[in-house]
Amino acid sequence: MLVIDLWAKDGYLSTPDGNSIYFWGFSKSETGPAQLPGPHIVARGGETITVNLHNTLTEPVSISFSGQSGVTAGGQPVQPQYTDGELLSFVNHAEPGSMVAYTFTPSFPGTFIYESGTNPHKQVPMGLYGGLVVRPTDYNPDAREFKTAYGAGTDTEFDREYLLITGEIDPDMHRVAEEGKPYLVSKYLPRYWTLNGRCAPDTMLMDGLDHLPHQPYGSMVMGQPGEKILMRYIGAGIENHPLHPHGTHTRVVAVDGRLLRNENVDLSFKRFTVLVGAGQTYDQIYQWDGLGYTPQNPIPTILPNLRNMGVGDAGWTMWSGSPYLGVKGDIPVGVVSYNEFGEYYFMLHSHEELQITNWGEFPGGMMTMVAIYPSLSPVIGVLE
Amino acid sequence: MAMIIKRFGATDGWVNMPDGTDHYIFGFVDISGVPENQIFQYRGKATLLAPLLEVYEGDEVYLTLTNLGFPNRADLDDTHTIHWHGFPNQIPLWDGVPEASISVPVGRDFTYYYQPLDPGTYIQHCHFEPVEHIQMGMVGPVTVRPKLEKELGLKFAYNDENTAYDREGLIFLTELDPRPHHLVANVQEFDWTEYSPEYWLINGRSYPDTVKPANDQSMPQQPFSALVEAYQGEKVLLRFVNIGFQQHCLQIPGIPLKVVGLDAQQLRGYNGEDISYWRDVIYIAAGQTMDVIFTAPRAGIYPLYNRNLNKNTIAGTEFGGMVTEIRVTLKP
Repeated sequence: MLVIDLWAKDGYLSTPDGNSIYFWGFSKSETGPAQLPGPHIVARGGETITVNLHNTLTEPVSISFSGQSGVTAGGQPVQPQYTDGELLSFVNHAEPGSMVAYTFTPSFPGTFIYESGTNPHKQVPMGLYGGLVVRPTDYNPDAREFKTAYGAGTDTEFDREYLLITGEIDPDMHRVAEEGKPYLVSKYLPRYWTLNGRCAPDTMLMDGLDHLPHQPYGSMVMGQPGEKILMRYIGAGIENHPLHPHGTHTRVVAVDGRLLRNENVDLSFKRFTVLVGAGQTYDQIYQWDGLGYTPQNPIPTILPNLRNMGVGDAGWTMWSGSPYLGVKGDIPVGVVSYNEFGEYYFMLHSHEELQITNWGEFPGGMMTMVAIYPSLSPVIGVLE
Repeated sequence: MAMIIKRFGATDGWVNMPDGTDHYIFGFVDISGVPENQIFQYRGKATLLAPLLEVYEGDEVYLTLTNLGFPNRADLDDTHTIHWHGFPNQIPLWDGVPEASISVPVGRDFTYYYQPLDPGTYIQHCHFEPVEHIQMGMVGPVTVRPKLEKELGLKFAYNDENTAYDREGLIFLTELDPRPHHLVANVQEFDWTEYSPEYWLINGRSYPDTVKPANDQSMPQQPFSALVEAYQGEKVLLRFVNIGFQQHCLQIPGIPLKVVGLDAQQLRGYNGEDISYWRDVIYIAAGQTMDVIFTAPRAGIYPLYNRNLNKNTIAGTEFGGMVTEIRVTLKP
């Protein structure tokens, strides 16, 4: 039995262009900060989960567990809630200052979203959403064949895993919510796009930074050549986003927590751009094998004098200055390189390119990198 | 395997829409084999789309990008890159992302090397400030042909005889919002979050220009036709590419479409299962490609258009936009 307590609270998001945006989010504790997205919930198939939602906001709040059957509140199946005959919540909610307890038992593994079911057109874009990962019942991270997304024998083994949750921010909505004024949702016009609640380049920073107290999750995907990197996408915004990782295709193994398999027929497929629809989840395996070039097996072209080339046009570069993995070259004077060990960086971004800006300024928004390191600690890329 | 040596220039130019308007673009122009002292004659002659890069699986491709500068915006010294969108196992040096490798300043060259091993439909585009450079027109098609074609002397989309075809057409989708094009031409900034296109293009043209022949003299910088012609009973491969910033839904009433490939991957499962499928509507997101085969039905004209019907217009008024025609005739 897994018991999770979530507090619905308000707070302020930070964007890389210096904006500070009021939002609503879930917190892990009564005294902790609201966060975007809400705390990751990691459970095991067949394990009963109880989520106690404590509402500190000034309007009712609920949580809808998309993809889960048999969710109860107070022992009864969750039901829509009406005020004076008008729909207020898709499921039982907590009034301001009170609490509601949801209980359910995931019957199959996968990646799922949890999100507000109350005034969802406002509360979900305001930030009341998060990710739920359900492990297969035979999951064992210490045994290769049992470290899978969907169970042994489903061809879903992975070495590292990352949750990437998309979202959008229309600052007008957030300002109006802070002022308690009405907002015309039909005028929804995002100016920021987020991965795990952050806009690029903050997406590439690590988890749990002091200067981003409300946005604890980074989005840098890290691994080694040949590893199976499980990327779990969740579409938490109200729009659809085509996510494109550079470097190689992803193999889509599951959609909405359903393994793409019909009996023994494997229905997984490879794509270089996956359209993540609102509320959808995609589980994919990214495996970059490289082209085999090393200083001993050199590239068939000549690396030009870097002083004659564009390096670090955005004011910084992630590049090492060398064509080879694990080798650092000479970056021109005056360019700041964030490259550590000669690792390779591949951009991962929305291909609706206006979404990789912060209010119109590139680089920003729904963009991060996949970093391939020559060697990497096994504690990187673990979801708990 | 062959060695393919190509050289593209990056520069600017102008494109025409059927309502008589013209729009400033950035783009690429083919300068392969042009003597060094003549390359600057190609300044201002960018085309929409970029030249087709068409190679065989296993070829060794040396593609040199030369930044020719913008004669219409001499003040703007942006660098450029070529990103082969979807190239498997790429290394950053040839991936064309300025934040993760090299970009090419005005007057400089850089040679990208590719040995494509997976046939299919890809995309090339500049990745410098991509929201601006892609919308401004630095996009083009890439086709990798399967080895099986050489072995059997016939045409195939993939290394599988089930993907045989007689003719192929390119359906390359982009949108054009005239405001950023106008503002960039006039040294002004555009807020990209206000993006709202008014022209919807196939192969860089808006209908009725889409059905005009290739290299039509009225559109010197839009050389690609989107007219598809076939004899009744022939198999036609359509390579759908979306490198706009919106999702599109294309259909050809009367012609069922068999989707055989997505994103330059044949629709085969992990263990070789056939997972191709039939569609009437090709729903395609930005940055995706789809390979579709149909059998040309009885002779006639079959319009191909966008079921997001608002996109079959020219600046919101006349009928046009993301429309072209499949013309089927009897074999003489």
